[in-house]
Amino acid sequence: MNSVEGLVTQIQGLSSTASDVLSLHNVLKQADDSLHAESTRLLPFLDQLDPSKHSLGYLYFLEACTAGPVTTESASSFVLIIARFISSCAAEQIRLAPDKFISVCKRLKDQVLFLEEPLRAVAPMLAAIRKLQSSTENLTTLHPEFLLLCLLAKCYKTGLSILEEDIFEVDQPRDLYLYCYYGGMICIGKKYFRKALELLHNVVTAPMSTINAIAVEAYKKYILVSLIHHGQLSTSLPKYASTVAQRNLKSFCQPYVELANSYTNGKIADLEAYVQANMEKFGSDNNLGLVKQVVSSIYKRNIQRLTQTYLTLSLQDIANTVQLNSPKEAEMHVLQMIQDGEIYATINQKDGMVRFLEDPEQYKTCEMIERVDSSIQRLMTLSKKLTVLDELMSSDPMYLGKVGRERQRFDFDDFDSVPQRFNI
Amino acid sequence: MASSSSSGLTFKLHPLVIVNISDHYTRVKSQMNPPPPTSATSNSNNSNGGENNQSPPRVYGCVIGVQRGRTVEIFNSFELLYDPSTHSLDRSFLEKKQELYKKVFPNFYVLGWYSTGNDAEESDMHIHKALMDVNESPVYVLLNPAINHAQKDLPVTIYESELHVIDGIPQLIFVRSSYTIETVEAERISVDHVAHLKPSGGSAATQLAAQLTGIHSAIKMLNSRIRVLHQYLVGMQKGDLPCENALLRQVSSLLRRLPATESEKFQDDFLTEYNDTLLVTYLATFTNCSSTMNDLVDKFNTAYDRHSRRGGRTAFI
Repeated sequence: MNSVEGLVTQIQGLSSTASDVLSLHNVLKQADDSLHAESTRLLPFLDQLDPSKHSLGYLYFLEACTAGPVTTESASSFVLIIARFISSCAAEQIRLAPDKFISVCKRLKDQVLFLEEPLRAVAPMLAAIRKLQSSTENLTTLHPEFLLLCLLAKCYKTGLSILEEDIFEVDQPRDLYLYCYYGGMICIGKKYFRKALELLHNVVTAPMSTINAIAVEAYKKYILVSLIHHGQLSTSLPKYASTVAQRNLKSFCQPYVELANSYTNGKIADLEAYVQANMEKFGSDNNLGLVKQVVSSIYKRNIQRLTQTYLTLSLQDIANTVQLNSPKEAEMHVLQMIQDGEIYATINQKDGMVRFLEDPEQYKTCEMIERVDSSIQRLMTLSKKLTVLDELMSSDPMYLGKVGRERQRFDFDDFDSVPQRFNI
Repeated sequence: MASSSSSGLTFKLHPLVIVNISDHYTRVKSQMNPPPPTSATSNSNNSNGGENNQSPPRVYGCVIGVQRGRTVEIFNSFELLYDPSTHSLDRSFLEKKQELYKKVFPNFYVLGWYSTGNDAEESDMHIHKALMDVNESPVYVLLNPAINHAQKDLPVTIYESELHVIDGIPQLIFVRSSYTIETVEAERISVDHVAHLKPSGGSAATQLAAQLTGIHSAIKMLNSRIRVLHQYLVGMQKGDLPCENALLRQVSSLLRRLPATESEKFQDDFLTEYNDTLLVTYLATFTNCSSTMNDLVDKFNTAYDRHSRRGGRTAFI
C-alpha cells in the first residue's frame, strides 16, 4: 500500500511540465506490475487524482483497476468513471501511453456491451478518438470500436460524421479492415450505397498476405451492394488487390457470385427462385435484408434499361416488360425512381404514357463551377500526396531489390550469379 | 570609382563568358561546407562563426578573346587560382593555361580578368596592375551573383582602368564601360536551355506555360491596382482622405466603360465556356493523378506482393 500511496504523491507532484511528465512516465512504467497486483484496492485512490491534470497517472491507475473481469456492479460505476476521464483528460499526456488508453477504451466498450447499453459509450468513444489521433487523417484502433458501438446503438449519423474524413495513415491493418467493414455496414443502413461500396471495396482490395475472414464477409456484402448500386458486378478484382484476394475470395463466396450471375441475366423469376433456394445460407451471414433489396432493385435496373431503348412508353408496356403485376405498380416504381433522381422522366397521367428525358444539367451555373473547382483542388492535394508516396516507394529497398532482378536478359552471358533469394 | 569610360572602345561580350563565371561561382558556393542553414532563426546560433554567416565566396578567372581595332570581343574565360596571402593571382598557372588555350585557339589573347561581387573594390586594383604586363589595358568583368528579381538588366559590369589625376596624384581607377552581347548560334541554344525555355518536353508545353504565366502576371497586376483604387475610395468614403472630384470623375468614367455586354445570353455562353475549360482541366488533373497512382500500384505490387509473377522470370541455368 505504501508504494501505491507513494505513486499517488509522485503523480500529483510530477504532472506539471512536459519533462516532468516524461520522467513520471518512466516511473509509472516500472511500477506497472505492482499496480496490477493491487488492482482490487486501487479504486479509492482514483479520487485523489484529477483526470485533467494528472491524466497519465490516472490512466495507469484506471487501467490497472479495470483489468479484472466485468461484473454488473462494477460495470456501471466504471462506465461513469471512464467516460468522465475521457472527456476531461489531457491529450498530450495520454498520447505518451497510447496502448493503455486503447485498452481502457476497449474495457469501456466491453462494459457497456455487458450492460447492453451501447449508446452510453458512443459520445465518450468519439471524444477518445479525437484525443488519440495525431491528425484527422490518422486511423487509430479506436475507430472500429466506435463504429461497432454506433452500429449496435443504431445511431448511424454520428458514425457517418467520422466516415466523412479521408484516412491517410493507418496504425494496424486489422483496424483498417474492421473500420471499412463497419463503415460499409453503417452506410448500407443509411442507404448511402455509393459510400458503402467504396468502403467495402477498400477492405477487399487492401493489401493482405493471407486471406482473412473480414475480407470474405466484406466481399459478400460488396457483391450485394454492387448489384444494388450499379446493377452489375465486375468479374475480376482490380490489379491493386492483393493476389491472395484475387485468387481466393471468389471461392469463399460462391452462392453470392451465382446470385450475381442470375441477376445480370435479368430474369426475375430465376432470381427469386435462386434466393428462395439459398435462404439459409444468406440468413446465416445476416445478409437477408440486403438480398431482399437486391431483388427489389432488379425492377429498377430493368426500367433503367428501358430508358436506353425507348423515348416514350406506356405504363402497361413497362409493367409487361419488367414483369410487374399492374400499371399502377409500374407507375409507383417510376415515380420513386424519379424522386430518387435515378431517371429523368415525366408521367402523363391522362393517357398513361411515360416520356424519358435527358439529364437536365446544362453545366452553365456558378454552383457547377464551384463544384468542379473544389474537386480540382482536392485532386491536386491528392496528387501531391501520391507523388510523395511514389518517391518513397521508388527508394524502398524491397522494391529496388526486386526490380533489379527482373531486368531483361538478352544474352547468355547476362546470367550473373545473383542468387534467387537474398535478404536485404 | 565608376564614371563612364572615355577610351572609345566597344566591348562585345559572349554569353559563354557569363555562363562560365556563373557556373564557377555556383560550383564553389555549393561545395562550401557546411552549407548555410535554411531556418529563419539561424541568426541565434553562432556556433560555427565566420564561415557560415555568409560572405559569399569570390571567384577569380581570366577572360580571353580578340581585339580588332577599337572592338574588343570577349569570347571565353577560364578559372584562376587566387592566393589570398599575396592578394594576387597565381602567375605560373595563368601562363600554363594561356599556353594551352593558345594551342586550341591561336587567335585569342588574354584580354583581362573576372571576378564576382557587388562592386569593384580597392584590392582588385592590385590584380589589375599585375595583369598589365600581359595586356597593357586589361578589362575587369564583374558579375553580381545576388539574385535581384526587380533588376531588369544583366548583373554584369565591365570596367576599364584609366589614369586620372585625383588630389594631384595620378591614380588608376576603374571606370565603367558599356558593352553589347554578341551571340553565336551554338550559344543561343545553350542559353535557351539554361534559361529553361526549351526543356526536354518540347516547345509546345513551354510556350503554353509562358503564355499562361504572362496572363497570370498581367491579371495579378490588374488585381493589385484595383485593390489600391478600392482602398483609396474606401478611405475617401470614410472621410480619412480628402475628396478629390477629378479622381472620382475618372474612376466613374472607367467604371462606366466596364461591362461591355451584359445580357442573359452572354452570361450563358460565358459560364458554359468557363465550365468547359474547368472540366477539361479536371480531366487533365484526373489523368495525371491516375497515372501516378498506377505507377505507385505497380511498384507496390513488385515490392510487396509475394506471389505476383510478371512474365519472363526464368529459372537459373
